[in-house]
Amino acid sequence: MNEWLIAAGVLLVGLVPCGIVMMRGTIVEALVALQMAGVVQTVTFMLLAEGYHRAPFFDLALALALLALAGGLVFARMLERWV
Amino acid sequence: MSPSSVVCVVFLVFGVAVELACCVGVLVMRDAHDKLHYIGPAAILGPIAIAVAIVLRESLSQAGVKAIITAVLLIVANPVLTHATGRALYIRRRDHLETDRESS
Repeated sequence: MNEWLIAAGVLLVGLVPCGIVMMRGTIVEALVALQMAGVVQTVTFMLLAEGYHRAPFFDLALALALLALAGGLVFARMLERWV
Repeated sequence: MSPSSVVCVVFLVFGVAVELACCVGVLVMRDAHDKLHYIGPAAILGPIAIAVAIVLRESLSQAGVKAIITAVLLIVANPVLTHATGRALYIRRRDHLETDRESS
């Protein structure tokens, strides 16, 4: 257990407020919380990759950052038109 | 513990603290617009601090370069996402995109 893994574990606590907003807020607030959760998860993946000393694991963080962007844009577009 | 390791841990703690503070900000703010402001520091300051910590530890190896690329991607993507979300909120509230001056 090194400092990177401890930081990743601490960072996971940040997902709890995001989950609360997703469940209790309006639908746009839930989208904001989803975007925040995407950022937190991306940084967590970076910390886990460094903590385990596996450079290929950084690809997960990179892929998640790209997919969170695409997913957020799709949700935002959907919210302004249909929901 | 070398000075480089100390600086690395300082950046690490700063990055994690920024992320957690922004998560709390998203929870406690009243409006979606107010909550939206807290994604900015989380997607800019936090990843920069973490990437700097990783580069200090790994130098510009494969891990360091990938950390930089990921941080840059987050920094570039955040304004786009924030703008799209703010636009969606505006349209949902007003039912159209044009300002009052344009529509009159």
